[in-house]
Amino acid sequence: MLPLEYDRSQDRDIIVRDRFDGCRREFLRTLVTPEVIEEHRRSPLGQHSERLERLLIYFRQRPLDERYAVRAIEPFRRYQVVKLSGRRGVPPRVIDTGIYTSANEARHGLFLRCIRDLLET
Amino acid sequence: MTPVRLFGYTDRISVKPGETIQFHVSAEGTDTAEAQLVRLIHGDQNPAGPGFVEEQVACAANGRWRVEPQFTQVGSFLEVDDPEGRLAFANSFTLFAFVHPTWPASGKRQTIIGRWDGDRKQGYGIGIDEKGYLQFWIGRGEEIERLTANVPLQVQMWYFVAATFDAETRRATLHQVGVGNRYNGLLGKVALVDYESRKSAGFRSRPGSLDSTPFLMAGSRSRDAQQRTCVSELYWGKIDRCGAFDQALQPAELDTIRSGLVPAMDSLVAYWDTSAGYTDRGIGDLVVDVGRHKLNARGYNRPVRGQTGWNWDGFTDCFRLAPQEFGGIEFHADALTDCNWKATKTVALPLGLKSGCYAMRLRSGWGKSVSEEHVVFFVRPGRPRARIAFLFPTLTYLAFANERLSFDHPEREALTGQPAVLSDIDIEMYMRADFGLSTYDMHADGIGVCYSSYHRPVMNMRPRYRMPSLDVASGLAADLSIIAWLDQSGFEYEVLTDEDLHRDGSEALSPYACVISGSRPEYYTERMLDATEDYIAGGGRYIYAGGNGFNATAGIRDGEPWIMECRRRDDGYKPWVSRYGEHYMATDGMRGGPWKVLGRATQKLVAIGLSSSGGGRSEPYRRMPDSYHRTVSWITKGVDGEIIGDAGLANDGAAGLALDYYDRALGTPPHTKIIASSGGHTDSYVVNQQLVLYSYLGLYGSYDWRVHADMTYFTAPHGGAVFACGSVAFAQSLPINTFRNSASRVLANVVEAFAGAGRLPGFAWVNEEKQWA
Repeated sequence: MLPLEYDRSQDRDIIVRDRFDGCRREFLRTLVTPEVIEEHRRSPLGQHSERLERLLIYFRQRPLDERYAVRAIEPFRRYQVVKLSGRRGVPPRVIDTGIYTSANEARHGLFLRCIRDLLET
Repeated sequence: MTPVRLFGYTDRISVKPGETIQFHVSAEGTDTAEAQLVRLIHGDQNPAGPGFVEEQVACAANGRWRVEPQFTQVGSFLEVDDPEGRLAFANSFTLFAFVHPTWPASGKRQTIIGRWDGDRKQGYGIGIDEKGYLQFWIGRGEEIERLTANVPLQVQMWYFVAATFDAETRRATLHQVGVGNRYNGLLGKVALVDYESRKSAGFRSRPGSLDSTPFLMAGSRSRDAQQRTCVSELYWGKIDRCGAFDQALQPAELDTIRSGLVPAMDSLVAYWDTSAGYTDRGIGDLVVDVGRHKLNARGYNRPVRGQTGWNWDGFTDCFRLAPQEFGGIEFHADALTDCNWKATKTVALPLGLKSGCYAMRLRSGWGKSVSEEHVVFFVRPGRPRARIAFLFPTLTYLAFANERLSFDHPEREALTGQPAVLSDIDIEMYMRADFGLSTYDMHADGIGVCYSSYHRPVMNMRPRYRMPSLDVASGLAADLSIIAWLDQSGFEYEVLTDEDLHRDGSEALSPYACVISGSRPEYYTERMLDATEDYIAGGGRYIYAGGNGFNATAGIRDGEPWIMECRRRDDGYKPWVSRYGEHYMATDGMRGGPWKVLGRATQKLVAIGLSSSGGGRSEPYRRMPDSYHRTVSWITKGVDGEIIGDAGLANDGAAGLALDYYDRALGTPPHTKIIASSGGHTDSYVVNQQLVLYSYLGLYGSYDWRVHADMTYFTAPHGGAVFACGSVAFAQSLPINTFRNSASRVLANVVEAFAGAGRLPGFAWVNEEKQWA
């Protein structure tokens, strides 16, 4: 391993990674349907259809600084969605004011953010 | 106004009634705290169970404590014992070292070796500047004179570095020569990189010298905002043999040292042979000066020893085989093995204290700004009396202590199959450097953390803590579900810790008819593993109440049980991997990595071993045909139907998080019976990589039959027996429905049988044709 924050500007494989990512996202956009979103809403954790699982696998592999997490403001009562910094020592930042009353609702809110990012970029 | 924060730790975690224990507390925003001794009964806040339960206990120490902010020295370094100031050079001198920087361009200055006070600008040193260039500097209190190399240091490459200063001519030289070979560094011969720099310059003055300045390796003297002395300009990387002369050596003499020979010149003041003093059973913290003054150096925050050195040729993979090639000592500016806080209070524990898990609860502040801290410790009995012992897996708590996987580990979310759920304490812990890292984390230079300690606040060894990557109570908070279950069951029990097991061996277990493990007793030293095996083979009855147990090697040095070591091999299941040649523990010489590879798969000890792990939904067990066998049908007595553990605080089932399975090929005792098995696990559960030779599509819950947990039973020699639950989540199914459920019923049947006097139920059924009900 190299230092967590080493200078990646000279890494040529970033170009390869980005090209792969672009192709992958293009395909993943075709998988987003109201049915998939509803499936996730019903069960954010558990066994999923292959269509939904493929989307989730992608979201779980995003670079840390593009990754979302749930913050438990009060466990089992109040949650919100935050974005990780990807930088050691730098806390996640709150990205909206939405408050969820269960971890599963927050997970779904996070999923919708990921879907929006996928469709908009 | 500074928010009120309280944090603490104890000098030891396993104590007896009547003994004293020291509490080390640091406070922010307050100078008092209300202390209350509590016994911890249940730790999981999940509303589907009893919630957090503690019991206040009378203690003379209860009441108001004076508390204060405490200073924590983070970072590993060595300090030379030089009472006569032989290294306080005022005239000519030479410094040399073999170095392997792991983060040269860190943006911060680093001192490799020197007697330098950066705050007072006095002394001298060799180090690395903010941009990753080697530098030699001196100061006399006003200006600093520097000589900087021409080419930057390459990350993870070995160099010989030296600086000379001739007091007559005021000539300073700086030498940097690459000493990489085919094995010892990141880059090979084919890389077109310039490693060499030789520079000289005239300095205007000689170095100054303060009596108070220590000669340090991997750091230099400084002062914090409160003017307390500390060590800063910490170095990231390895240092191999190094030394100092009170004469400016000539280039040819430096070339001789670079070849590995140190001239026996009168001017040699100190020569630290970093590979001296190794034994097959471990390496201490003292770095020996083999010169005539014996200016030995002592490690702080335990620098990592036994690492591959500049002259390692790749043929041997262990410091025990060729110590002279393993002189590397590794330093990290974020290492922490002891906060070294002043003792806030020394408490004599009440004599009549019941054995259990306790905490000193500290509170300060008002309303929503109240800060509460539980400083946890364990009370074992003065003299064992109960027939049942619960063994807290404290070594595993240590391995995970203050882990930050959800923030830093890119693969963690893919592994658990769910996004992290972070609590405020996780975020605070991530923002602070002074609580240290776990053996699941990497230092900021990308190297895995191999030491963890409880001489610091351990945020995840607290009741109520939930592991963010799985969003379940884990470690202590999960194991308290077994304590709460024992409490309500009426069984008399006492508690032990891994620390006791390591120190006392099987004698720690032998007073008990029945020993119950924690939910994830993952890390085991050889002595602990031997003691458990001997206990069972000698007639002990063992309940493995979890999963992913007895899996990983760990080391503890005698007399310093607060620090554990963990090295990780590429054949294990791991968050990082030790570099080749660095898989052996400096603590005791044992090979790091999974026990399975050493011929001690978990199945050999308790019939089952890790099959898979994941997150999200947990599943129930279903009774298997063996459970109807007359020899074991008593285990499921009182269970209605086929299903066991169809609810739980860890994702709603008894089989989850990590699952263990029966495998004859890995040493499951031949006559083991499978009482129940789980199934239907989701695809976030993946077959453990230690079980497969290749990675391929389909190693997931709905594809591969191995993704399941087995609940097993076997009888052992001399009346011994093992009941194994098979899942980390099992313990968290016990509190459901106020402890009245099928998982609880099964465990109660087994505990009752195991703790009872005489032979085990079912022993009389010996004729095969009559054994099926």
